[in-house]
Amino acid sequence: MKIYMKDVFGIRCMALADGTKLHDMIIGELKNGNPVTLDFEGVKQFASPFFNLSIGRIMTEISEAAFRKLLFLENLDETGKYVVGQVISNASIYHSNADHKKIVDEILDRQAKDEDES
Amino acid sequence: MGLSMESNLQGTLFVPALDDGQAAYEWMFRTREVVLQQSTPVRISFLFCKKLSPGAVAFIGGLIRLAESKQISVIVEWDTVIDETVLKFLRHNGFSEFFGGRSHGWDSHCIPYREDRFEDCNSVMDYLTDNWIGRGWLQVSERLKNAIAGKMWEIYTNSFEHGLSPVGVFSCGHHYSNKNELVLTVIDFGVGIAANVKDFLSSDPRSARLSSSACVEWALQRGNTTSNLNVARGLGLDFLRNFVVLNEGSLEIYSNTAHALINKDGVTVKEIESNFSGTLVQIKLQCDERLYSFKNEVNS
Repeated sequence: MKIYMKDVFGIRCMALADGTKLHDMIIGELKNGNPVTLDFEGVKQFASPFFNLSIGRIMTEISEAAFRKLLFLENLDETGKYVVGQVISNASIYHSNADHKKIVDEILDRQAKDEDES
Repeated sequence: MGLSMESNLQGTLFVPALDDGQAAYEWMFRTREVVLQQSTPVRISFLFCKKLSPGAVAFIGGLIRLAESKQISVIVEWDTVIDETVLKFLRHNGFSEFFGGRSHGWDSHCIPYREDRFEDCNSVMDYLTDNWIGRGWLQVSERLKNAIAGKMWEIYTNSFEHGLSPVGVFSCGHHYSNKNELVLTVIDFGVGIAANVKDFLSSDPRSARLSSSACVEWALQRGNTTSNLNVARGLGLDFLRNFVVLNEGSLEIYSNTAHALINKDGVTVKEIESNFSGTLVQIKLQCDERLYSFKNEVNS
């Protein structure tokens, strides 16, 4: 399967809703073991919400080996490559079940330090 | 006229000179509370107003829409706009057209006032690409302009997704030729960042004790998000933070009782006296081409 991104999304791959749309278009193929190529020729503007909801989400749904073997990105410009790189790096350390107690501990620690300093 | 605020408006809100500093924004936040308590129509008078920042314009526009959504009628008294600079500013940035005043064309240094009730990526990006970064103030490549505009979109998408604003998102900007500075302010009248963080963490009863500033500090860190979409998020503010540091600009956030300032000196987040139920983001960029290169932008 090959998708010409500009034909589907225009010159912008930025919005959350478009990211979800891309995810829904390709996740079935990837889960069935079929390769998917995304051609970004002509796409000029990129933002993380689009890739979080497409590529970032796919990373939680198929194995890393399958992700690397089956998903191909073509003709991404430097900005696009950077945004995708950051999204992949962020997704790889993400844990869906955030430990709320740990986060509250962390924020309270910071708050205590701020209060000590002021 | 100072920046004091009477709780009883007696029908008229006198807008003082409002710049883009903390005291001015705190006046606006207090004003929001007062206006929303009124049971009779509110008249906005600019009689004592000798200066308005784009952030003040966006805030006043948003406040009018918020009041209207609560059935409080607000009337802008255009005949009180006697300061020529203020009048030109309100006409040139399009604010007057939205609120019953006369239009006056468009000044080359104004970045129009706009209201976005719902998220429309293409409309916002056209605005950012054509009216903000693309007006020739910054002589950089098309590709770099696209990269910068893309970073600004992160502000809007955060406001739409997390803001929960009942009236949408309001923005306005300006190019200050004397300072060679490009300013954009984006405001939502939703719940605020700290309220979002506390709600996200509400399974832990201690979350009620969290300060706004500590919550905003947490939200500013890469990868931290209150999104319930079950995917990794939290890159937008990190992109913006790195970008303004590199370009010697600044990013300010007012939300709930927190004020964050991010610039080349680092990140400062502190508590303020006023409480703003919403989020105001103000970004300032230096229009000095020496501070921009594509390699740097991409890697920021």
